[in-house]
Amino acid sequence: MRERRLISQRATVTAVSLALLGGLAACSGPKDNAANSGEGGGKPAKGGKLTVLNSEAQSDFDPARLYTSGGGNVPSLVFRTLTTRNRAAGAAGTKVVPDLATDLGTPSKNATVWTYTLKEGLKFEDGSAITSTDIKYGVERSFAAELSGGAPYLRDWLIGGDTYQGPYESGKGKKTLDSIETPDERTIVFKLKKPVGDFPYLATQTQFAPVPKDKDTGTKYEEHPVSSGPYKVVKNTNDGERLQLERNPHWSEKADDQRKAYADTVDVRSGLDPAVINQRLSTSSGDDASAVTTDTNLGPAELAQIGQDKALKSRVGVGHFGYTNYLAFNPKVKPFDKPEVRQAISYAIGRSSVINAVGGSSLAEPATTFLPNQKAFGHTPYNHFPAGKNGNPAKAKEVLAKAGYKSGLTVTLTHSTDEGEMGPKVASAVQQSLAKAGITVKLKGLEGNAYNEKRWAAADAPGFFLSRWGADWPAGYPFLAPIFDGRQIVKDGANFNNAQLNDPAINKEFDEIHELTDLNAAAERWGALDQKIGEQALTVPLYHPVYQRLVGKDIKNVVISDWTGVLDISQVAVK
Amino acid sequence: MTVQDVLTPGAGEPAAPGPAAGARGAWRRLRTRPSAVVAGAVLAALILAAIAAPLLTAIAGQDPYTYHDELVDSASGGAPKGSFGGVSGEHWLGVEPGTGRDLFARLVYGARVSLLVAAGATVLQVVIGVSVGLAAALGSRWADQILSRVTDVMVALPMLVLAIALTTVVPDDFPRPLLLVLVMGALNWGGTSRVVRAQTLTLRRLDFVAAARLGGSGPLRVVRRELLPSLAAPVITYAAILLPSNIVLEASLSFLGIGVKPPTPSWGQMLSTATTWFRADPMYVLLPSGLLFVTVLAFTVLGDAVRTALDPREASRLRVGTRKEKTRD
Amino acid sequence: MTDRFPFPGVRFAAKRLLGAVLVLLVLSAVLYALFYLVPGDPAQLACGERCNPAQVAQVREQLGLDEPAYAQYLHFLQGVFAGRDYSAGTSLQHCAAPCLGLSHQNDQQVTTLIVEGLPATASLAFGAMVVWLTLGVGTGLLSALRRGGATERVLTVLTLAGTGTPVFILGLLLLMAVCAYLQWLPFPSYVPLSQDPEQWAWNMLLPWLTLGLFESAKYARLTRSSTLEVLAEDHIRTFRAYGVSERAVVARHALRGALPPVIALSALDLGSMMGGAMLTEQLFGLPGLGRLLIDSVRSVDLPVVVGVVLVIGTAVVLANAVADVLYALADRRVVLT
Repeated sequence: MRERRLISQRATVTAVSLALLGGLAACSGPKDNAANSGEGGGKPAKGGKLTVLNSEAQSDFDPARLYTSGGGNVPSLVFRTLTTRNRAAGAAGTKVVPDLATDLGTPSKNATVWTYTLKEGLKFEDGSAITSTDIKYGVERSFAAELSGGAPYLRDWLIGGDTYQGPYESGKGKKTLDSIETPDERTIVFKLKKPVGDFPYLATQTQFAPVPKDKDTGTKYEEHPVSSGPYKVVKNTNDGERLQLERNPHWSEKADDQRKAYADTVDVRSGLDPAVINQRLSTSSGDDASAVTTDTNLGPAELAQIGQDKALKSRVGVGHFGYTNYLAFNPKVKPFDKPEVRQAISYAIGRSSVINAVGGSSLAEPATTFLPNQKAFGHTPYNHFPAGKNGNPAKAKEVLAKAGYKSGLTVTLTHSTDEGEMGPKVASAVQQSLAKAGITVKLKGLEGNAYNEKRWAAADAPGFFLSRWGADWPAGYPFLAPIFDGRQIVKDGANFNNAQLNDPAINKEFDEIHELTDLNAAAERWGALDQKIGEQALTVPLYHPVYQRLVGKDIKNVVISDWTGVLDISQVAVK
Repeated sequence: MTVQDVLTPGAGEPAAPGPAAGARGAWRRLRTRPSAVVAGAVLAALILAAIAAPLLTAIAGQDPYTYHDELVDSASGGAPKGSFGGVSGEHWLGVEPGTGRDLFARLVYGARVSLLVAAGATVLQVVIGVSVGLAAALGSRWADQILSRVTDVMVALPMLVLAIALTTVVPDDFPRPLLLVLVMGALNWGGTSRVVRAQTLTLRRLDFVAAARLGGSGPLRVVRRELLPSLAAPVITYAAILLPSNIVLEASLSFLGIGVKPPTPSWGQMLSTATTWFRADPMYVLLPSGLLFVTVLAFTVLGDAVRTALDPREASRLRVGTRKEKTRD
Repeated sequence: MTDRFPFPGVRFAAKRLLGAVLVLLVLSAVLYALFYLVPGDPAQLACGERCNPAQVAQVREQLGLDEPAYAQYLHFLQGVFAGRDYSAGTSLQHCAAPCLGLSHQNDQQVTTLIVEGLPATASLAFGAMVVWLTLGVGTGLLSALRRGGATERVLTVLTLAGTGTPVFILGLLLLMAVCAYLQWLPFPSYVPLSQDPEQWAWNMLLPWLTLGLFESAKYARLTRSSTLEVLAEDHIRTFRAYGVSERAVVARHALRGALPPVIALSALDLGSMMGGAMLTEQLFGLPGLGRLLIDSVRSVDLPVVVGVVLVIGTAVVLANAVADVLYALADRRVVLT
């Protein structure tokens, strides 16, 4: 889950339009997924110019620095990776499929060694062949401090990953990472410290994109990364504020069954206000008629305005992404050490006012499970502390009374002062619904950065705060392990296991499931584990966000997968 | 004298001769200007409403914090049900989208914060500005140089950035409105200080001050007895310009998310969430921005009137200037 | 006044320059100190939320954030006066003096970021100046000449409306009215002047109007009061007495007297706007310095914050000096000190 951009540019976003519901990507629900593909417009055809209107600049365009889910959107037009997400709408889009590799990888018996073979005829934009050493080099350079930003898994899993500092002179120690082997030009082998059944998911991330060593320019590489995908960068203005892409003549449709690449050119313009983006898409004049956005969704006001406009409504796609917004407890802080207090809050919570505060039922679905409500995660419905739509204050009072709080209690809820999912409106909604159960909530608002630092503080995280968690890929491991695996408690940095849960039985279950290379079997057990952890009421799941995405009027072949929740830019056509 | 001094309203011109040039006369002149009277009445009403906010909301039977889920349409983004943003007998001005909080209550409570913060900041700006300006004008050459350069920096600084930095450095439990007053006061006194310095330099040369000094009055006594009263008119005039700009500044800070902490309402904060709603729920935007506008307008008109009233010389001088005036008054 | 220097202008300039350098030094030190206290670990922010402690430490070292604050500041000064080298991975990246450092967030040189932001900011500031001069001076003159009439009242209220409406509301209303309802203009998206002057102008029109309208009230008031002042002066009365036509009086004499302060104020405003009109830039998505500043404040990107503020400071000091000179040229009453 990448939140850095969100944090750093929150000022921009909050200022003019509220509720950028997690501009990164989006969330899931198996139902009505947007596939209003090209109705009436006939078959999508090649040609034309696709415009992308975004709020966040693509200021990181180095495959080493990107933190993406499934290879990203604009990045995946330029970077191919060993595996990638299936480019299909809805739940089918949560599958992982081969990209540069011929298959999802061959695991050794205990899934500690993963071997990949590259497809034949793969070429960079300059016509030179893509080899396994290019992929190895791409992974290696992501360990350099100059190119930080990627996901932590490679460091945690590859043998020697914890001490390796990258191939550059500035890093200490060895310049190559021996746990990645390239026996021949088309074979690459990854040796891991422990069994990892999820490795094919990880290999979708841009760190697995090939980088030719002789073309590497370090921190300057992002200005013109060497393309392995259907488009190449022609011009990168103002550090990713505008990216102009053209077809890569050396990309072959035959060797890529995922990207459609209909448009001839892609023009990515960012730094725009979300309200302006949506307005432009809805007006659809000039180039905006063939425009999409990959990071902006419709806010509550825009939804209210689109209301009954059928023509506009037909241009809105619904996206889901593995995401859960929740109330987090730190049981080290009193009175949250008492399970009854946590349970009482779980009973008392009125989810409908929380949902209204973030834009209503079209933008959020009530959550009673920590795992997102998608099959890919192994979602197993449970509701251990039924609260109904508006909370169950009577039951909450009863539980509190049992714990000795007959006359109610007072707690402090920490939240961000930035408007949005973890902002003051949600906090006030929680405050109001708990008040009915005799729980007085004091609000403590922290400015964005301070809040994020505090929220994940290892030593002094608040006892009760608003939080959220998103999926690095649609499976249980990256969703549950950082939050509930006792071995992942961090003492001197960002710690995501707020509850400091370190239960040997649960830890063992994590290890066992993570060994499974049968991803369906694993999903089922993740769901069961989530249900079991849920009994401890360490979090109060609030809602799973839903994303409503508007496209320009000439856009065809809209595909929104449950993996990303955003419209897949490699699939849209403008003709 | 620099351009800054010339441009700062009231700084370039010599002050009215002699202390306290007839406060009573100024009041009389003020009363005869209809625009001033209207502006004054509007402001009085606003201030009264702000003071009486608890009473007014009690009459309406509302408070600014309670959520009313049933009054918003969850399926369409949380827009208020009913026309004009959910106006009804209970909710006189409708409700806030998403939460259903009563807008009337939030507006009158918001007025408290907006007016109080702006007034507090103005007072602080004037106090700091007068002190620095006097010290610069009456102190040594060196002191003047240093203070004037500091003033230059204060005028040059990007206020918003420093305000953001300062507000994030200060501990959270520090009361926000007070913090805003301090930040705005501490960062925006440059103009006042320039006015005061220029005025004092002029006054120092005038006879009555020189006479007082020759008569053996100490510097503090001269400041208190002779200078401050004469500075009153230009300072009040300048403060009248500062006040409305402080209201807008508070709104801008709140708009950027560094104003008072929610759920405490302020106009700027209401605006920051309202802007996206102006097509779906125009009332939600028009109410706070309209109030903001009217308030700033009223303060500006009143400030203008006060300025003319305090400086009859200017008024009479101006009157000669145009032909039409000759037949009037 | 006795001036031993043969060229008062040179002395004036030298004094100003020295003062300015001192002011900027103090300013940068204050900013360093201030932002050192701002919560948010720059290394963690640069590395990303999911970076583990070892990686954060590595990044901290690479950014030089493991050094004490004073050492960081000294390095910064060294960069400004002598330049610095940074690791770009494959090679060393030389950042020539005046080097304002590297952005923590994306390894770009701060000077590069500022140079990239400057065209948009300058476009906005100069265009807006045209608007506020036209609108402000026009309104001011009219209301000075039609004093007491209905025209004056209406104009006064209109200009007051400009100041009374926060710029973010004004801009948004304009944007929605002109681009969404009426569809007279496409939604602005910045096109550099060097790329396509016509598109540049069309796209900047709305930002210019917004900022110009917002600022014009101030100018209207200034024009009005200085025109009235000039009209009240004795020589104007003499002209009138001699039967010079009112139009000629206004055009030849009153305007000439009223313009210097307006021009001087414009220079000052231009100077402070070099730092970007933050809210306007943000609203219209202009990739200028103001937005750069706000973004970097939010991400605790200290080198960028200090760099941009220094540029603003320099611009303001320069503008002050220019304004003083312009004013002195136009009005002999002012003596340069």
